[in-house]
Amino acid sequence: MNATAQAVAVASAAPLQVRGLTHHYESKIVLDHVDLALQPGSVLGLIGRNGAGKSTLIRAMLGLLEPQSGEAFVFGEPALKLSDTTKERLGYVPQQPDALAWLTAAQMFDYLSRFYPRWDHRFVKDMLQRWEIEANKVMAKLSPGERQRVDLVRALAPQPELLVLDEPASALDPVARRELLREIALRAGEAGATVLFSTHIVSDLERVASDIAFLHDGRMLLHCPVDETKERYARLWLPANVAAAAPASPLGKRRHEDGSLSVIVECDANGAWPEASRLPGGRVDTLGLEDLFVEIAE
Amino acid sequence: MDASLLTIQPASAEPIYRQIVEQLRRLIAGGQLPPGELLPSVREVAGFHAVNPMTVSRAYSLAESEGLLERLRGKGMAVAAQSKPTLNQTQRLALLEPQIVALARQARELELSAEPVLRRLDKLLKE
Repeated sequence: MNATAQAVAVASAAPLQVRGLTHHYESKIVLDHVDLALQPGSVLGLIGRNGAGKSTLIRAMLGLLEPQSGEAFVFGEPALKLSDTTKERLGYVPQQPDALAWLTAAQMFDYLSRFYPRWDHRFVKDMLQRWEIEANKVMAKLSPGERQRVDLVRALAPQPELLVLDEPASALDPVARRELLREIALRAGEAGATVLFSTHIVSDLERVASDIAFLHDGRMLLHCPVDETKERYARLWLPANVAAAAPASPLGKRRHEDGSLSVIVECDANGAWPEASRLPGGRVDTLGLEDLFVEIAE
Repeated sequence: MDASLLTIQPASAEPIYRQIVEQLRRLIAGGQLPPGELLPSVREVAGFHAVNPMTVSRAYSLAESEGLLERLRGKGMAVAAQSKPTLNQTQRLALLEPQIVALARQARELELSAEPVLRRLDKLLKE
């Protein structure tokens, strides 16, 4: 492909894409043939239990980890060989604070700002002031919440087109979390940034994500717009005497102590629930994402 | 109208965009949002409630297509001026239907007859 065609391909490619990603740690499968592509301007919430493989997936998507098989692309470039131009379009906040902890926040920002042509100094100043973070204190001495906020500022200051956050809110109190969500929501909406964030806090996802991807035991079980997920899936509860007539469900099935059964069902193209929902005593309940998550993940 | 007038429950099984449309529908039908009243911008609502602006945008578009809202040039979204006359009682009652069905179901589960429930409802509506 000549240079111009390649440039065009890179410019218009999906911000993040993976195909057939597979990875093990020792004998344990952590990623099992995962396919995922992000639409530009979308906010994807990646959800799954602790240990489901979310961080591994994110690192493989960004080329920080070489998977045993499969491929990953960032803006059309192979993730393991990202050009500097592409790296400038990307902001990443990992779960663990990182190696520059011996610097002060001011020093780190000063250092990093030289790499990013669109670094927003004003934003950095405003955020540090708003959150009352001492820019001249060695970062290792900041609290986990402050550290997380510094990491966020660091990721947002270059005004990235693609923002990837791994459990961004875990050390934040509810007020701080709400502010973070606000920031993500507005950036995605206005700057048209694409956002991927992983979380186990489902309500955060419900507020801000346009799409949800559900990782369970290394497999991508569900990848759907949030609104559609709520409208498309429901829990069907059947009393013990008719439980045998339950539809086979790929997503979730739980037998309760009294013999009754809860099954996740999907509505058809006309919005109708399966026949089994009309069995005597049966009940269909629409679900919030947290309930759906619990039903599927058990 | 201020963004704080809306209540958003992200954990509800009802998608946020639908919650917004339904609330607007009730506020308009009940007269709390009169024709011509300006709505807060998508950004304001999204910022206030920390939700995805696309969700708010979707709600506004849906409300516009249903004739609840109209876009005023240079000013943003407003309650439709030539909206149908305020809904009659039957129509307004129809808007309450989902809640009434849910209430009936829960009362049945609790093995409550209509009488005590209606008495309580009557008291609340008189407040």
